[in-house]
Amino acid sequence: MTKPNTGELNPQESAASEIKSYATGFIVSLLLTVGAFAALLSDLPSTWKIVLICVAALLQIIVHMRNFLHLSFSGGQSREDLLLVLFSVCLLAIMAGGTWYIMSDLGGRMHQASGSDAAMPEAPTR
Amino acid sequence: MSGETSPIVGNLDWNVTPYTDLLKHVDSSTIVGAGAASVLVLGAIAGLVLFTYMRWWGPLYRNWLTSPDAKKIGIMYIALALVMLARGIIEGFVMRAHQAMALGTLAQKESGLVAPDHFAQLFSTHGTIMIFFVAMPLLIGLINFVLPQQLGARDMAFPVLNQVSLGLTAAGAGLIMISLLVGQFGTGGWTMYPPYTGKIFSPGEGVDYWLWAILISGMGSTLTGMNFAVTIFKERAPGMHLMRMPLFCWTSLCVAIMLIYAMPALTVSSVMLALDRYADFHFFTNAAGGNMMNYANIFWMFGHPEVYILILPAFGVFSEISSTYSGKRLYGYTSLVIASMSIAVISFTVWLHHFFTMGQSAGVNIAFGIATMIIGIPTGVKIYDWMATLWRGRVRITAPIVYLTGFFLLFVIGGLSGIILANPSIDYQVHNSTFLVAHFHNVIIPGVLYGMLAGIHYWFPKAFGFRLSETWGRRTALLFVGGFIFTFMPLYVLGLMGMPRRSPTFQNPDFMPWMYIAAFGGVLMLCALASLCWTFWTSYRNRRALAVPGGDPWNGSTLEWSTPAPVPEWTFPCIPRVKAREDWGETKRRGDPWRSPETYTDIEMPANTAHGLLIAGASFTLGFAMVWHIWWLAILGVLAIPGLVVLRGMRVIEPNIIPAAQVEEEDRRFRQQVASLPPATRADEETERNRGVPDLSEFAG
Ligand code: HEM
Ligand SMILES: [Cu+2]
Repeated sequence: MTKPNTGELNPQESAASEIKSYATGFIVSLLLTVGAFAALLSDLPSTWKIVLICVAALLQIIVHMRNFLHLSFSGGQSREDLLLVLFSVCLLAIMAGGTWYIMSDLGGRMHQASGSDAAMPEAPTR
Repeated sequence: MSGETSPIVGNLDWNVTPYTDLLKHVDSSTIVGAGAASVLVLGAIAGLVLFTYMRWWGPLYRNWLTSPDAKKIGIMYIALALVMLARGIIEGFVMRAHQAMALGTLAQKESGLVAPDHFAQLFSTHGTIMIFFVAMPLLIGLINFVLPQQLGARDMAFPVLNQVSLGLTAAGAGLIMISLLVGQFGTGGWTMYPPYTGKIFSPGEGVDYWLWAILISGMGSTLTGMNFAVTIFKERAPGMHLMRMPLFCWTSLCVAIMLIYAMPALTVSSVMLALDRYADFHFFTNAAGGNMMNYANIFWMFGHPEVYILILPAFGVFSEISSTYSGKRLYGYTSLVIASMSIAVISFTVWLHHFFTMGQSAGVNIAFGIATMIIGIPTGVKIYDWMATLWRGRVRITAPIVYLTGFFLLFVIGGLSGIILANPSIDYQVHNSTFLVAHFHNVIIPGVLYGMLAGIHYWFPKAFGFRLSETWGRRTALLFVGGFIFTFMPLYVLGLMGMPRRSPTFQNPDFMPWMYIAAFGGVLMLCALASLCWTFWTSYRNRRALAVPGGDPWNGSTLEWSTPAPVPEWTFPCIPRVKAREDWGETKRRGDPWRSPETYTDIEMPANTAHGLLIAGASFTLGFAMVWHIWWLAILGVLAIPGLVVLRGMRVIEPNIIPAAQVEEEDRRFRQQVASLPPATRADEETERNRGVPDLSEFAG
């Protein structure tokens, strides 16, 4: 398996451990996904649902970066990895925060009650 | 397209071609539609016949389609883009011709060359093609060709992935092309905003064509971005520190970062729209708990960085050519690097300016308006840097410099109209008018198009071994400048007079003089296109006289000019050790730059593979099947793609080894040839005496 951040190939520490790391990542991701759906289908209050789903999503991101993208904060390239993560977080924060800012403002101005289920629009007469 | 979906051919039947429309009803609109389809069919047949007659299929397959060489992939990207550019310009001309005849009266509302629905398809395909299948492939192609050579690398970090990206882009372009013949394209513009593009208002296949073309080619662009980033971080020659990279590499890095972070937003918004259309989701149905504004929000989260993805490589090209053709060092290297990076980051913070009028409160608009104006600052810095580079240089007025001059004059006007639009209260007056159309063409044509054409002219000899005709190059450039001015300056006036964009008709006779001027501009643009084709053709016929085997026709200072023209597959016989910024220039200053390397070693290059081609075929099939609801075929396509990836993963793939002896022989031959060629001075640059070996005594840059 490739040692984190060195690019060195170590044939001794063979494919087995690499597969193990990927498999752990896969199973954990699967559990987190199922967990999110379970939270959605449960009878919890909706704030709790949202919190649970967000936490599952964040954990999922971390698992992907650790087990699939081999990011690591120790080793020769930890500085680069850290910068990469910080930069990504910064951009994602801009996007997510901006969306929140814009859409909540719009929602407020449209008096959009959360989860309104009005009737479906009618098909236009063509 | 009536009746049930057939399990075998989905929604396809014989009524989907423009010919059936023509049979039903003959008017100028159906004639234009059938004519366009015929151009496509006849063009395809002519291509088939030509390739068969010339026996080009084998070489095409072996040397090009299966090649993982970034240089060839770049050239194929550019060829694809030029074909699509021809279609885009012709469509632009048809729209201009239509509007010049579209004056209606209140009694007779519709007139003009094409029917309103057809006009809507025209601006939708034109916009989609120009952005995704002209500008993007042009810049990705140019970066593919130039970036590894400038970094001192032999190839991209992931050559086969690169091939796959090209394949995905071509599959998307293929979907757009086939929509000319089979069915209709969407009518929602290049942005395809719901709810209009939802199933209720746009039931047909049109929006789906757009969706699948965007999803497939967008995936390709994301992968390309990763490839570029890894190449820049990992494949630089020893000694090529980041701050020694030529500016084009820096702008490529910015583009790579922006592709990685911006393209997923487009994929997300398109997937959401696709789910709305195919699976009855309601992401964008307000009444069912969705929110249609969120489409605009996510789309422009991609869309604004996209416009800087388009312009930054052009900025890179202008940095290279302003320095080379004035024989001077680039002025303000560090400031240009900082400006490019600031543009890349700030461009992620301004997307709301594309929907100022969507209804949010003034405070939100102001925040994004200010952010938008700030981005003008780094761009301004760059313009001054290029002017300072040219200042007191001995500027040769070659075709790229004509483009650069046109860019200076026109891009600044476009940028200023952008700053005007960044003010929300002004935007409320002119949004959705042809003022906006004039603004974005004013930055896209003088910026992106001129930049890319200048870059093609500049690096063409490196790719094919002969220069392009300067006379015809300059004529083309001047035609593009004139064509632009006549086509789009009137649109500013029309916009202020109240002409809405995307309108197939209007009732104000005062518009007509400006419409005629714009239509004349459209004719000039067609001439420019013809002149561009002629430049390639006449230069090809004169290739002996224009040949530059020495490989350095412009007395350049970056690494790519140290190799022969055309550049061999392995680019560098021995990976250069970089000691300075503009390393080739430094070597020239030290004298005897063409010294041969001491030893030659075997070179390992990626082996040819049909992987990209197969993935392209599978994804085209998937897209086409989804558009027409041919489910069995779609399932096959979906399964084929991971299947192909797995198959390739399980095979042992031997690289292609080029023996040291062969490299040595070719390299020795090149060095002898350089020694035997007479050096050309700058004054001789455009004449036959320019054999690609410059007069070093003149090198100052
Ligand atoms: C070369 C000559 C060109 C001509 C004559 C031309 C003409 C036009 C016209 C008439 C429209 C429709 C305007 C309206 O909505 O009223 C349009 C829209 C558009 N053009 Fe061009 N154009 C040209 C080049 C380009 C280039 C090079 C690009 C980009 C690389 C481009 C991108 C667009 C886009 C994005 C739209 C908006 C489409 C929409 O409304 O969704 N055009 N163009
Ligand atoms: Cu923008």
